[in-house]
Amino acid sequence: MTLVLEAAVLGILTGGVYALMASGLTLIFGVMRIINVGHGALVVLGAYLSFAASRALHIDPFVTLVITMPVMFLLGFGLQVVFIRPLKTDREALSVLVTYAIALGLEGILGYVFGANYVQLQAWYDTASFPIGDFRITYVYVFGFVLCLAILVVLFLILYRTTFGASIRATMLNRTAAQLIGIDVDRVSAVAFGIGMATAAAGGVVFGITTAFNPGSHYDLISRLLTIIVLGGLGSLRGAVIAALIMLVSEDITSVVISPVWASFVFFVILIVVLLVRPQGLYGVRVRERI
Amino acid sequence: MSLARSGDAWKVGGLIAVLAIALLLPAIAPDPATTNVAVFTVMYVGLATAWNIMGGYGFGSYTLGLLLARIGMAGGYAPFLIVPAAGLATAALALGIGWFALRTRAATFVIVTIAFMFMLQLLAENLVGLTGGGGGLSYPVPPWGGDYFNTPFYYAMLALALLSLAISWRIRRSKFGLGLLAIRDDEDKALAVGVPTRAFKLTAFVISAALVGMIGGVYGYYVTYIYPQFVIDPLIGISMVLMVFLGGLGTLTGPVLGAVILEPAQLYLAYNYGASRLYLVFYAAVFLIVILVLPRGIVPSVGRLISDRRARAGPSAPAAAKAVAP
Amino acid sequence: MRTSLRGALLSVLAMVIAACGSTAPTAPAAPITIGVSVSQSGDFSGDGKALVQGYDLWAQDENAKGGLLGHKITMKYVDDTSSTQQVVSNYEGLITRDKVALVFGPFSSLLTIPASTVVARYGYAFPEPAGGGPHVFDRGLTNIFFVQPAAVEDNLVSYTKWLTGLSADQRPTSVAYATQDDPFTQPQVDKAKSLLEAAGIKTAYYRVYPAETTDFTPIALNVVHSQADAVILGTQLPDAVAFAKTFIQQHYNPKTLIETTGPDQGADFSNKLGTNTEGIMVPAGWTANAKAYGNDKFVSEFIAKYGGTAADISADAAEAYSVGQVVDEAATKANSIENAKLISSLHSGTYQTIQGPMAFDSSGKPQGGVGVYIEQWQNGAAIFVYPSSVAAAQPEYPKKPWS
Repeated sequence: MTLVLEAAVLGILTGGVYALMASGLTLIFGVMRIINVGHGALVVLGAYLSFAASRALHIDPFVTLVITMPVMFLLGFGLQVVFIRPLKTDREALSVLVTYAIALGLEGILGYVFGANYVQLQAWYDTASFPIGDFRITYVYVFGFVLCLAILVVLFLILYRTTFGASIRATMLNRTAAQLIGIDVDRVSAVAFGIGMATAAAGGVVFGITTAFNPGSHYDLISRLLTIIVLGGLGSLRGAVIAALIMLVSEDITSVVISPVWASFVFFVILIVVLLVRPQGLYGVRVRERI
Repeated sequence: MSLARSGDAWKVGGLIAVLAIALLLPAIAPDPATTNVAVFTVMYVGLATAWNIMGGYGFGSYTLGLLLARIGMAGGYAPFLIVPAAGLATAALALGIGWFALRTRAATFVIVTIAFMFMLQLLAENLVGLTGGGGGLSYPVPPWGGDYFNTPFYYAMLALALLSLAISWRIRRSKFGLGLLAIRDDEDKALAVGVPTRAFKLTAFVISAALVGMIGGVYGYYVTYIYPQFVIDPLIGISMVLMVFLGGLGTLTGPVLGAVILEPAQLYLAYNYGASRLYLVFYAAVFLIVILVLPRGIVPSVGRLISDRRARAGPSAPAAAKAVAP
Repeated sequence: MRTSLRGALLSVLAMVIAACGSTAPTAPAAPITIGVSVSQSGDFSGDGKALVQGYDLWAQDENAKGGLLGHKITMKYVDDTSSTQQVVSNYEGLITRDKVALVFGPFSSLLTIPASTVVARYGYAFPEPAGGGPHVFDRGLTNIFFVQPAAVEDNLVSYTKWLTGLSADQRPTSVAYATQDDPFTQPQVDKAKSLLEAAGIKTAYYRVYPAETTDFTPIALNVVHSQADAVILGTQLPDAVAFAKTFIQQHYNPKTLIETTGPDQGADFSNKLGTNTEGIMVPAGWTANAKAYGNDKFVSEFIAKYGGTAADISADAAEAYSVGQVVDEAATKANSIENAKLISSLHSGTYQTIQGPMAFDSSGKPQGGVGVYIEQWQNGAAIFVYPSSVAAAQPEYPKKPWS
């Protein structure tokens, strides 16, 4: 029984990281109606940037976020302007191709610069833990969870408490109408992409400190992130957070109770059942649009 | 659609020329390195035309492999005769999956089918007693020598690609195809005007799965050994989608062109520049340029270019333009 | 024991030198290209790099002494992107388009199996460093030569011998097993399990997990809960590190911990665990300080060429280098580099490599060799600890507490 509880706690803690990574992806979808298949590669890029920065400057991986988040924000802004904005027709479909190409390009560049060996971010506390009742909780998961929570709260505050957030939400609701009431939709899109990348940087640090990664790690990441945001409802931040927790908790519990080989099977069953009942996902808005 | 116009005559001539080259390729270029690339290219022509992402490809591979193992059939021509059975099995599976998945639409449908695909992959990995699990499944090895080996597989793949094209061409000209186009444009309106959308979609899904399943079976026999993670792989679907978009979505020639350009390019780049690790960057760059310059894909974009030129050349152009860009 | 081994090595060395001497007077033969498909991108790209290092170093050594039977060697590498489809195309291309004289193997059983049928079709020999899963050998091919000391399923046999050989009060009473469902890892873990169960050591936990798993913590927690005395893990590098980290975090210190891959990868392993590598074991056919044929030269040249220390050298590189050594000796013996002659020559006799001596049966399985040893991390370096004939130190048992 403790084992199940332990798995559930672990699922929640690691679910926070996936929630953060997925929130950037779902935000980008919400604002631009594009599926950023390159998100996984950008998380890996964030992890590599932190890896390089913490090595070069001898600082804690979490501290590197002071550098990597702004850098990734600017990069995201630039990527949107150069590659996404020119797409006028068939945005949803073409954006998949463009962002997939970005993912491949990044994989190639990272392989060239860092080589293909697995690396992992290091910190003094990555093997430390503290006891709670019968089991021990690892500091690094707690730190990661707190960081993710903090960033998610900031993200919600930006969206719901600022004028800029209002224009983002307006764009999410109806792009054309937002344009008509004078919102610079292009700028909002670029900034939203930048914010998505900044959260990817933060997610990358936590991912990179808990997992050994290499330039090819993005394939696994993106398929997990996509299923999360579809389960949560495309474009819904709340949905992304809940779905990430459902995924990790269900997988971890299945893994300890039944077997690791059936862990993702159980998640896919949940996903399919939910989508059959609610095709728009848990918190999605039903949109009548053709793809 | 009469053949009287000169543009159509050119098209028919071109079609015959391409077909002739395709049929005679093993004689024109008998070098195994070339026919090997041709096998994969024609395979992707079939896959991109059939357009199915539910993992039917891998299911077909496993079906054929397991059937051959059960029958105890030796390598040779005979296994090709069993290939339709793999198609039938895949169609049956698609009927089941489609029954559920087609309650959803658009992006959700895509994700649901991909989820089913991952479940198939997990089953292939976990049902070790049946499939061999992660250790893979062995096919009988045909006894042919290196110089001849690729030829039967090339013709098998070509036959399946032509079958896909013929079905796709035939459907386009039927009431069924019209209904599918209507569904693609606006499913609700299609339903409103009396198109049995669910039945139509399910039929299309099952037909494409059967084709993809047969192609997967031939593939498994060709590489002689399959693993769950390689034959039931989302990357196969992604390559296929890329090819269709590169060539032009919604056209008959688009997927063919996309496959003929992309598959050899990918094999060639990995072969020649893989060692420098920069081939991925190169591949990505070419891709980005093509998408940004020709966002509709090559066939429609070129079609539009030609029609623009004709529009400038003479007043009768609009009719021709429509004929070029279907 | 040690002296007689050295004596044997010296005599072999003398033979090799003599053989080289006899070919020296002839005019230099035409240069040749040797083709290899390696994974430069995708899942196996880390190992791909190590293979290239090992092969390159061998080619450099070979050219320095005048080439393979006088043929100067150029290595040609093509990328298989860790995919079966590409690996098939690559060997087809290497053999028929580039008309390479010889081909060497890629990384992992997954790619070796599909590649081997293509290579066999053209009658080429297929000496390979990294494809040792059971299915590599059961396809009726006679051109494969797996250049490691033992077939993969026997990798943990020496470890089980060592465990069961411990005195009754020392012997672990329970073992926890977890392994990837990979053709490289699972067969060896399963064999170890059946051997240890037969010896009366009970299984506290056994789980197979998918190779695609990225979060290993729940599985590791199960192992922790089993509180077994011994832990046997069928891992690659990322999970090898992840399991160890979870054990440290959970303050679980088994008496002995062995992982099938990961601890043998030098700095790539130790830079993730620091001093906590202490006591972790790995089955290994090769180690930097082993007294095998040509090993000192390999290690010193490797460091000169690629930098780092002896502890940084991946076993993958040593295995690739051994492929070259085997081919060189077979060519010398056959006095030819024709594939047919190499194949028949490789099916008989014993070959000296930096992993020790080895021979091949008709399916290409290594035979009669010394088997796989146990390597253990002690004071920041992985060294042979068992069997005692090759051991550089006593096995550290029980494992010291995590630091």
